[in-house]
Amino acid sequence: MNDTFLISIVTFAYFSAAFVFLVSFIFQKKYMDTVATAVTVAGLLLQTLALIIRWIHSYQLGIGHAPLSNFYESLVFFSWSIIFIYVVTRKRYGNSITGILATFFSFLILAYASLSGKVDCQIQPLIPALQSNWLISHVISSFLAYACFAIAFGMSILYLVKRRAGKERIVLLPDAAVLDEITYKMISVGFVLLTLGIITGAAWADRAWGRYWGWDPKETWSLITWLIYGTFLHARLARGWRGIKMSLISIIGFLAVIFTYLGVNYILSGLHSYL
Amino acid sequence: MKLTFPGEREIDDSVFTSSQIRKTWHSHQDISALEEQTQVLLKALALKPTQVDKKNAHYFFAEKGKYSRLGMVFVHISILFILGGGLIGTIWGFDGQMNVVEGATSDTVLLYGGTGTKKLGFGVRCDNFTVDFYETGMPKEYRSDLTIVEGERKVMSGSVRVNHPLTYKGLKFCQATYGVAGMDNFRVVIQNNSTGKKTVLTLGLMQKVPIPESTVSFAIAKYVPNQGRRKPAVLGVLLEPGKAHDIFWIEKNERKEKGDFTFTLRDFDKRYYTGIQVSKDPGVPLVWTGFFLILAGFILSLFFVHKRVWLRIVAERGGYEISLAANISKNKKAFKEKLEGLIGTFQQGGAA
Repeated sequence: MNDTFLISIVTFAYFSAAFVFLVSFIFQKKYMDTVATAVTVAGLLLQTLALIIRWIHSYQLGIGHAPLSNFYESLVFFSWSIIFIYVVTRKRYGNSITGILATFFSFLILAYASLSGKVDCQIQPLIPALQSNWLISHVISSFLAYACFAIAFGMSILYLVKRRAGKERIVLLPDAAVLDEITYKMISVGFVLLTLGIITGAAWADRAWGRYWGWDPKETWSLITWLIYGTFLHARLARGWRGIKMSLISIIGFLAVIFTYLGVNYILSGLHSYL
Repeated sequence: MKLTFPGEREIDDSVFTSSQIRKTWHSHQDISALEEQTQVLLKALALKPTQVDKKNAHYFFAEKGKYSRLGMVFVHISILFILGGGLIGTIWGFDGQMNVVEGATSDTVLLYGGTGTKKLGFGVRCDNFTVDFYETGMPKEYRSDLTIVEGERKVMSGSVRVNHPLTYKGLKFCQATYGVAGMDNFRVVIQNNSTGKKTVLTLGLMQKVPIPESTVSFAIAKYVPNQGRRKPAVLGVLLEPGKAHDIFWIEKNERKEKGDFTFTLRDFDKRYYTGIQVSKDPGVPLVWTGFFLILAGFILSLFFVHKRVWLRIVAERGGYEISLAANISKNKKAFKEKLEGLIGTFQQGGAA
């Protein structure tokens, strides 16, 4: 079976899940939430299968490598990561509104990956720089970190909406304190994963380019992102900040994530040209 | 029964007024029942208590995960290690590039940032350079076969590929770039016009080779990729003793008559140079230590919690006053809820 065909089913599954989560959220129906979650989990399993099929397929083409090596594959894996983080944390932090955000965001990423003419979904061989055992650990930790930050970003936006509208008007949204807490937890986990992503990247760069750090734009921007989230954690843990200020740092942090992921490649040029 | 708390020199009653979580209640049960209930409560929190009895008060203290607090210390110290390693690398390390033509040996590195050159004290010879491509035209592999030469002695040989550097004397050699240094091994067919006999000469640039069965020598002075009919060509030189040099172009696969001979350039080889990045960084072990510490620190503080619980049973008229104090380094809310449940059980005399 073709993995891109499976991905189009997954795209539809996430869209449907987002819609059912929305209905569940508006009408506060518990069973709708269960249905939407089941669709999301099914989508995640199917997407995992698509990743495995693509991996196997690359071996059949004689250029075997993990499906983590070009823009299309990174987008698919980013959307997988968001849903994965949502599913593993849903018991503690999951609710319909996080469900809507996670599935809708993943749907948008997959739709862009499949429909944009700029994104080539062909399986390509690995250029020499990417032929390394560090590829898998580096990409997985980085994108899981991005996914945590994406969810934290969504929570921060909701926090601001909730605070701005006042408690009476948006009763459906979770408590501001809950949103604040989820943001913090997601950023803590994301921060550790980003650290791991930077370390594996440094170890890789040391072998491939002969230095662990070279102020390449991707490296510099990942450090900027790391410092922003480091500031977030210090402000909360050492200074006890809460609320709107924290949401703003989280939003700025995610803008840095987006720039590290996409902006560096489209605007600046560097060694990390393959994303 | 131990007389001191681990880590606490004396029993300090202030914990019962200053801790994050505090609770006081009263009971009419006898002391042995209360002591047993205390054990049950602490066991439910996976804690082993130390008990101290004073005149009319009984103290219990239990602690777990003290070392998780080291996590944050590790994380912050690791930053110092990483910065220190970076500093050492900047001061005592260097990096640069050396371009070595196939067959040639070099011992000089051109430092990055235009800060001059550095002599290695040994030679690096490029035995061969190859570049492979996929069918799509994307590069598949760059490989330099290098030999380290100390004086005249070959010390080590190995191939350097991207992601597979070579290390010698603390220096790391990485494949960085490559290029075409020029052309070599020109195969020129020379036909004697009177006898019709053909000879193939293989020669490099500026290399004088006698043409067999004649008094004439031949050499190639220059190579150009586009000459005349947009073909690669060489500038041939015919040297006859006592005569002026005869200079003429010989295009690839085209016949060129000159004097008694007809020349044809059959083929030639590309001669590559490989660009090897040479770097030395004595700060790397410190940086790796920092990376290890930061991860160890995260694991300690993520997966371990420091919790402390104190319990005091004081005799009062008609029964006992029980005070509980607790501190936890994170997840305070969940811990508090759990504690309240356990206290509830305690208050019901352990019946529930």
